[in-house]
Amino acid sequence: MKKKMLSAFLCAAMAVTLVAGCGAPAADAGKDKGGDSKKEASEGIPKDEIKVGFVHISDPSDMGYTYNHDLGTKEMQKELGLSDDQIINKYNVPEDAECDTALRELVEAGCNIIFATSFGFEDYVKEVAAEYPDIQFCHATGFQASDSGLDNFHNYFASIYEGRYLAGIAAGLKTETNKLGYVAAHPFAEVISGYTAFYLGAKSVNPDVTMDIMYTNSWNDPTIESQVAKALIDRGCDVISQHSDSTAPATTAEDNGVWQVGYNNDMIAAAPNASLVSPRIDWGIYVTEAVQAVIDGKEIPADWCKGYADGAVYLSPLNEKIAAEGTQEAIDKAAEALKNGELFVFGGPLKGVSPDGEKIEVAEGDHFPEQEEASAPSWQYIIEGCNVVQ
Amino acid sequence: MLNTLNGLFIAAVLAGTPLLLGALGEILTEKSGNLNLGVEGMMFMGAITGLAGSYYYEQAVIGSGGNPNGAVSSVIALLTSFAAGSLGALIYSFLTITLRANQNVTGLTLTIFGTGFGNFFGEYIGQKAGGYVAVSEVTKKAFSGIDIPVLSDIPVLGPLLFRYNWVVYFAIAAALFMTWFFNRTRVGLNLRAVGEDPATADAAGINTTVYKYMATVIGGGICGIGGMYMSMVTTSGVWVHNCVSGYGWLAVALVIFATWSPARGMLVALVFGGLTIMRMYINIPGLPAQIYDMFPYIATILVLVITSMRRSKEHAQPKSCGLNYFREER
Repeated sequence: MKKKMLSAFLCAAMAVTLVAGCGAPAADAGKDKGGDSKKEASEGIPKDEIKVGFVHISDPSDMGYTYNHDLGTKEMQKELGLSDDQIINKYNVPEDAECDTALRELVEAGCNIIFATSFGFEDYVKEVAAEYPDIQFCHATGFQASDSGLDNFHNYFASIYEGRYLAGIAAGLKTETNKLGYVAAHPFAEVISGYTAFYLGAKSVNPDVTMDIMYTNSWNDPTIESQVAKALIDRGCDVISQHSDSTAPATTAEDNGVWQVGYNNDMIAAAPNASLVSPRIDWGIYVTEAVQAVIDGKEIPADWCKGYADGAVYLSPLNEKIAAEGTQEAIDKAAEALKNGELFVFGGPLKGVSPDGEKIEVAEGDHFPEQEEASAPSWQYIIEGCNVVQ
Repeated sequence: MLNTLNGLFIAAVLAGTPLLLGALGEILTEKSGNLNLGVEGMMFMGAITGLAGSYYYEQAVIGSGGNPNGAVSSVIALLTSFAAGSLGALIYSFLTITLRANQNVTGLTLTIFGTGFGNFFGEYIGQKAGGYVAVSEVTKKAFSGIDIPVLSDIPVLGPLLFRYNWVVYFAIAAALFMTWFFNRTRVGLNLRAVGEDPATADAAGINTTVYKYMATVIGGGICGIGGMYMSMVTTSGVWVHNCVSGYGWLAVALVIFATWSPARGMLVALVFGGLTIMRMYINIPGLPAQIYDMFPYIATILVLVITSMRRSKEHAQPKSCGLNYFREER
């Protein structure tokens, strides 16, 4: 009997330690000192009372997407002078019902504005937003806010395709095999728009270049990302770029002696002899604006999208040690043209077919209105030269 | 075509190594009659402690003004991950062998415990290190492919056989050693007897408790090293949340696939590793990626069906596996 008791106790101890382990990262959630929303959002909220919540698919250790978005949070915190316990982060939340739980926990903790940063969170955000009209919900990379009929549900993104186009120039000039490789997350418009822009940038300086694209079917899975990068290198690709969250493609490129163009973060630290340049988003601009709007009791736009000209999209410093000669000049020239409105990334003539078989043709002198009407990317057509391997 | 196959082989070896280590640990455990389903948990524990061992060693050396040594760092990662995996297995052993708790339930609890342990400490160390934890270049170099003079430079065969990281060779050596141990030593024979029929072994004067404890704890340690492979090699010495993500369960399936034979384990780990990355190398037009991802599991089911049809006595699960032995119930 004693032994049975002891074994039951030990099993319970293991379970309790587990719960403690899961709970600890969000431990600061418990420290709220009565943040019940007695004031209407329209009247604004004093700066020292506001609480800001974040739901992330990963944590800053990815040194990519979540790391970069977290920098935006820190920028906002510094700009507005919020204390640490006014910001609650939920890390490593998968794109399933756990997201719903995380959002509700943030509501319970007294958050006035909540940011959800992964594409697959959108349905849960929409559902929870409908139940709490006094709390503002901002979802990155989504597309449903403007049609949802909810005043407190917003989408935001940046024209990252402009940054990818510029980074593509570095890849196009560097490649020796004229074959680029792209580690792509999902066959969604956000990803297709990104790699098409990257390819068009490379093609603008190197007409012979082609690109192989392989999907990981996951936003953040370092194991598969590095395996896919290796497979692309084995196919003869000598510049690897990525639409995935971690630095695994960069370290794989480094190990195999090829080059790489990152995303979200300056990956030169992870791969000093491989990483050329990375397009990045400055999330701080939007996060600061949105939190400020709640403090002032102003409305947040349903769709928010800024690009290269506004500094919301920028390139990390070029790795001069390994970049081809004249890369910086070529990038500067294209960047200038993008800013002046002389150059459109998706400018005609351009022909493509979507994965569903839908065709599009952009005429000479015309351009596709990417991210102009809504904040979410909508270019979902695969053009000639892009070879999807599956 | 030949290049594609070479690439597939190399990628399969790299993907198969953590599976092989996990499976070897579980084979050793099951040979003693313990069915430890906590492989995933022990791999998580090994993954974080291996990384933490290397990381803190480096910090200590850099802090005192020295230069960290890659070989020392590797050995520390190996030992700490082994210790953590053993610790997980020790909890399991105490519960099932001494207290005779249900093996399935305890194993599953260990999986949940280990997953929480790994992710909690990974995040904790990361937060303390300023956002994320990563080992230095020296250790990363120590865990990347080796370069043996002459051998590594042989065309085709060199990259195919002599350019992996050291853990791959360690895993192969462990598999060969275990084969010899089970089939050629007295202790191995005793261990197999304990797994088949502990009452008979006990009557023959074998200390079943010691055998069960030793096999389970060492087996857990080997699983821990498999976890270390995930954090040190697959994710290049950076802690990534959920980095083991199901590899422990694949390893349990692999034990069945290998029919409890370490030598066979090497071959099937290669096949399993190959199946997990096959879609990136061999394209069958019109076949969706999701079907490819099912291949390892389909293969396991097929093997289960075939082995149960053949009913080979030699390649079956040890007979007492999953049952606790209590001398007074004889």
